[in-house]
Amino acid sequence: MSNGDGSNLLALPPVVAERSIPALEDVRDYFDPDGVWVIGPNREPKAAARARQVFDPPVVHPPLGDAEPVQRHDLGTLSVVTVQRGAVLEEAGETLATARGCEDGTPTVLVCDDVTTIVRPTALETTLECASELAALAADADRKRLTVLTGGLPATYDRTWSLERESGACLGVGSPQPDPVGADAVVIRVHGLGSVDGYGPARSISSLAISRDCAADDLSATSDDLTIDVETLDADKFGLEAVTGVGPKTAERLEKRGITTRSELLETPVAQLCDLPNVGPTGAERMHAHAEVLETGEPRRLTDEALPGESHRPPLCLDIETDGLSPTIVWQVGVYDPIDDSYRAFVERTDPADPGPVIESFCDWLLGTHPDRALCTWNGWRFDYRHLGAFVNRHAPHYAVEWETIPKFDLYGWVTDGNALLPGRTNKLEDVSSALGYEGSETGLDGAATAAAYQRFMRTGAELEWDRHEAYCEDDCRALWHVYERVREAPRVSGSGSGSGSRSASTSRAGSGDRDETEGTRTSSESEQVGLDSF
Amino acid sequence: MNQHTDTDANADATNIPVTGEELVDTYPSYREEADVSLVDLPGRPAETVPGETVLRPDLAGPLEHDLYSHQAEALEALANDENVCVATSTASGKTLVYGLQIARNYLAARRRGEESTAYVCYPTKALSRDQERELNDLFDDLGLEIDVAVYDGDTERGEPRKRIREEADVVISNFAGVNTYLHDHDRWARFFAACDLLVIDESHTYTGVHGMHVAWIVRRLKRVLAYYGSDPQFVLTSATIGNPGAHSSALIDEPVTVVDEDGSPQGPRDLVLWNPPMRTGEEANGVDAISDDATAASASTGRASDDDPPERLPATIEAPQVFSHLTYHDAQTLLFTPSRKLAELSIERAGEHRRRRDRYYLTPDRGTALEPYHAGHSRKKRHGTEHHLKNGLLDGVASTNALELGINVGAMDATVQMGYPGQRQSFWQQIGRAGRGERRALSVLVAEHRTLDQYVVSHPEFLLETDVEDAVVDVDNDAVFAQHVRCAADELALDERDVGEFAKRERLEGALEMWRRAGQVRGHLETGVSYTGSPRPQSSISLYATAGQEYEVRLAEGVDERYDPEMEPLARERVFRDFHEGAVRLHAGQQYEVCEVDHDAPQPYVAVRPTNVDYYTQTRSEVTILDAESEESREIDDTGFDLHYGTGTVLVYHGTYDKVAVHGGKPKDQAIPTDNPPLQMETQLCWLEVPQDVERHLVEEYREYSVPELESEADLGPIPHIGYMGGLHAAEHAMIGVAPLELTLDKRDLGGLSTLTIDSHLAMDAPSAAETPGDDRAPRSIEAARATVRQLSNALEREPASGWFVYDGIEGGLGFSRAIYDEFEALARRAREHVADCDCGRIDGCPACVMDEQCGNDNVPLHRDAAVDIFDRLLGEGDSLEAADTADSERERRPTLFYS
Repeated sequence: MSNGDGSNLLALPPVVAERSIPALEDVRDYFDPDGVWVIGPNREPKAAARARQVFDPPVVHPPLGDAEPVQRHDLGTLSVVTVQRGAVLEEAGETLATARGCEDGTPTVLVCDDVTTIVRPTALETTLECASELAALAADADRKRLTVLTGGLPATYDRTWSLERESGACLGVGSPQPDPVGADAVVIRVHGLGSVDGYGPARSISSLAISRDCAADDLSATSDDLTIDVETLDADKFGLEAVTGVGPKTAERLEKRGITTRSELLETPVAQLCDLPNVGPTGAERMHAHAEVLETGEPRRLTDEALPGESHRPPLCLDIETDGLSPTIVWQVGVYDPIDDSYRAFVERTDPADPGPVIESFCDWLLGTHPDRALCTWNGWRFDYRHLGAFVNRHAPHYAVEWETIPKFDLYGWVTDGNALLPGRTNKLEDVSSALGYEGSETGLDGAATAAAYQRFMRTGAELEWDRHEAYCEDDCRALWHVYERVREAPRVSGSGSGSGSRSASTSRAGSGDRDETEGTRTSSESEQVGLDSF
Repeated sequence: MNQHTDTDANADATNIPVTGEELVDTYPSYREEADVSLVDLPGRPAETVPGETVLRPDLAGPLEHDLYSHQAEALEALANDENVCVATSTASGKTLVYGLQIARNYLAARRRGEESTAYVCYPTKALSRDQERELNDLFDDLGLEIDVAVYDGDTERGEPRKRIREEADVVISNFAGVNTYLHDHDRWARFFAACDLLVIDESHTYTGVHGMHVAWIVRRLKRVLAYYGSDPQFVLTSATIGNPGAHSSALIDEPVTVVDEDGSPQGPRDLVLWNPPMRTGEEANGVDAISDDATAASASTGRASDDDPPERLPATIEAPQVFSHLTYHDAQTLLFTPSRKLAELSIERAGEHRRRRDRYYLTPDRGTALEPYHAGHSRKKRHGTEHHLKNGLLDGVASTNALELGINVGAMDATVQMGYPGQRQSFWQQIGRAGRGERRALSVLVAEHRTLDQYVVSHPEFLLETDVEDAVVDVDNDAVFAQHVRCAADELALDERDVGEFAKRERLEGALEMWRRAGQVRGHLETGVSYTGSPRPQSSISLYATAGQEYEVRLAEGVDERYDPEMEPLARERVFRDFHEGAVRLHAGQQYEVCEVDHDAPQPYVAVRPTNVDYYTQTRSEVTILDAESEESREIDDTGFDLHYGTGTVLVYHGTYDKVAVHGGKPKDQAIPTDNPPLQMETQLCWLEVPQDVERHLVEEYREYSVPELESEADLGPIPHIGYMGGLHAAEHAMIGVAPLELTLDKRDLGGLSTLTIDSHLAMDAPSAAETPGDDRAPRSIEAARATVRQLSNALEREPASGWFVYDGIEGGLGFSRAIYDEFEALARRAREHVADCDCGRIDGCPACVMDEQCGNDNVPLHRDAAVDIFDRLLGEGDSLEAADTADSERERRPTLFYS
């Protein structure tokens, strides 16, 4: 899958060496990369060799660059200069200078896995490894800005370091853009390639779509003006293991029987699958069903559990935007009404210091015009309902009781409770809806970007491109309805039972939710979805 | 000491089944008179106040008894909107104070038509369950329908939890739970919005690393409560500690009124300090195969030679016998043991004692209803034991400190302690278990052969001094602070309102900038900072470690679960020192070999398997200190000694270990590599600089002393400084050894280094490396560090000072060095007294005075007399030095020697 017009750089953790060839082929077909980096800094020649068997585009493993510590690869519209290790960064100056530069519109990025951050809590200090080398390199190549990708940091890392040109001393760090800097500074945008915390033992794989920023409104200060879109997936979501119920052991057993792909799995009769250890008839049915969903892109329902609102009036599709994961304001509430295909947004454009008015007007409207409608969200129990409830209690307490009684429904929760199988490798709304054929309006935004933009508005008064940010919220509401409809129409898996997952998901579980509390345990709770940064 | 002067309180002395004197007279074996001392503690009558004076009639009416004066005082302060810390004796009715306050708040809210809730935190789950019953009984008696519920890891998930959050008036939990639940504070909106009271029970248990975490969890809880519009009052209950006010304020970051005038009655008490007899040769070789690891290590410290210091029988053998003897004589007795295994074993040993002495104990079955008690038992079993103690079905119980905290088991006739529990507050808390009302009680302390115990039995007045240890809680550790900043940002965006409230601006900004650069938070204080790292930062907090994770101790694969050592998780520092691969540790009477250490697993762990070998292992450590920076300094009373407090880098290298024969302590195999890298810590330090004239005098005085093995090993030839150096080294050990007498700490959390060249361990003023990032200066190996110190030493322009460092052995520090800096003279006085009074008669001391089982240099060199001399000088008690100062002094080259 190619995201956007830019070049796709795929970052593979070295543990992919342990994945089967068909699984890697699935990775290849899914991401369709222009170049593959098996990330360091540890030397893993086997992993690189295995990747080369599968991928046609260049496969680079920086630690192997003994003969050629600085290499350059041109991937479509992007030049990538890979440096073997931090100590030889300065040797990259020439290559960097000759790489096609800003003049002809070809952006350049540097890859060096030794660039990383060192956190020293006792000194309350985070420093950037190789900072002085990077500053010297930028000066050498006569650049004010440089983008560095590194396997030494997780793919969620995107920070822009302003360094003093002479010494590499840190002048400030922005996310992603820094505060304006002086002439004696260079700006280094550091973006991670590495595995992201919270994924399983197989680690995560990230694909970076890198392009020149086309819609640079408030992002204008970004180094090299690059837009980097990251897609991160669990490395065991490929090949047979993408199918629910197939873990590494079962995958291995299947492969021994010559079943290496999902289509081969589909061709295998259910009865035969039941012969596998620890696989019962229900499990085998479900494997089949999920393999089919993934292969065909068609969703399936697994239970007779009714979709809430299915037999009555459809619910209102809701999405909120905040200024961060621990919000101080819910500055946008978007509601899509499928009955008349209308969309309504409540936005705070003038006084971000007062969270009250948006909440008040949303409640006025909702309770005034739709007192009897249910609400529907994607992952609302962990985000939208949770924060809206808190803000209603605080800023519109007179509506608190009414808010409690409104039927609330979380399609995400209903699906993950085992009521349906959806295509898409993650449960992110964007992933699921696009796998189900939804075409969004390509705002180029995500939850974090829109939150960051609003934060800047709060601090500096710099207006957002309101239309674009409102379009983003509307897009999510409509995407949700698209998913809802596709699920509603989806066929049921034959012979499946009527019991849903563990609980009735259709009605309001206000305040109960299923957020686990796991005191004493240190692993992040299983039901905590990684990458579901839906804000 | 009172010798039977308080006749009133002695009136009912006859009530006691056995008196201290009778114990000594009847005990069936000969002992040196000097080994046992009897102390008579007078009793005191109750001081009471009628309930109506402080309570409204609807509460005072149903109360069956008057209030003790301290309860009334606390309730009055609470009525004045003050926070209160009640620091009175065991069983003085502290629960009633907050129970009544909850009832008061409940009634007041009911009159207003509102709700009032209270959050009550106990240190253990067992105590939570016990106190739930107590509170329910109280509210029943008061005729109030207050809904009390325990909400912790054992509470059933789903509906039961939801019901508690949505309905309970009083929620009982612990701080590990609070830390976790704060993430989902929105689900607690009702409970938090109505919260009028926060109770921290047994607050004295929150010290050291654990205390710092609790202090930050309380601050996070307060932020969230403020968000829901609550500003609750605090009640803290504490055992008697030296600084209840300061400690409580540090925990909750608010002023606290201390109530410590105990109005509960107390019977007189016979206190027996019981030093076991010297081992005979046979016993010494028979080895106390079963003792906990601390005693085993100390019992075997020292080099193998025929003149090993004499040892006493361990308390682990002696205490169960005393226990058995008391129950035979009809005294219901509680024996406190330092481990679960020893609790179990003590029951067996008590029985054995009877059988071995069957000619003395003629009625073998008398007083033999004995049970062990510890947290490893099921709740049901523990409950049964508690119950049987209360109604007299049991004659005795051997318990870990699980029964030290306030679980209600009624009052015993007698207590026996297997070794000094380490702290006076703990000592008093435990013996407080004996004595009903104003009846006479008996308490026996059976001493171990180690520094603290021997100090206590030879200085009984120490126990009776009014000053108890200070509890140390330090919120200056940035490593711990930074972890809680992430959690706070996750719970509610951090913003300007948190400046000054949660932390000072500079510190808060510093931590946020650190996390921002690390990609863990977004945003600015002006508009709010959110956490953006992986979900639930709360789960990465481990309440017993400062940085990073603790190591779990698990059984190696395939080993029978029965052998599970059930050890608390270990801090990284501890793993490097004592749990390297190949280490043999004695835990709760069982030898374990460490077969695997995984530092990189998501949950790092140490895998052990039970073993049975004739050796134990001893790690050789090298320590050095670099870049110490003084933040505060003072001269000690015009003596010329300078004392500093500051921070620095400590490098500890547990590079090799020895296998030492259990029998005779001879090394079997030496210098086996641990394959551990050196540990580097940024931590807090305190150091003493000895003035030049004192040093010259003492070097001269002890220049004849020599340690040949040392001089040949280091290839240095005769070193005139070695006697003096031994004095510094011994003084440093003694200071660390007695620190727990003044401060609530585990001495394993402290380290020391004595040195002839303090200056070479200090941060230099104008190092060329100043501009490069700090990390580059830190040496990667201990050899490099030592070389750096030597090099710095050679480059010094002035003659360096000698002295010693004491450091906090935990990344970021614990506040202990700081407390030692503040209490230095008092500690030095204790240390001097102890070293001078030890009757081991050896220049290099014994495990009871200056030897330390943790010494990385195998307790060489040590010189007791020189140490006493140093202490005398620094306490201003030495002779004048005018004559001794040989100004000519050929200026011997000073070697760069340092010993940990």
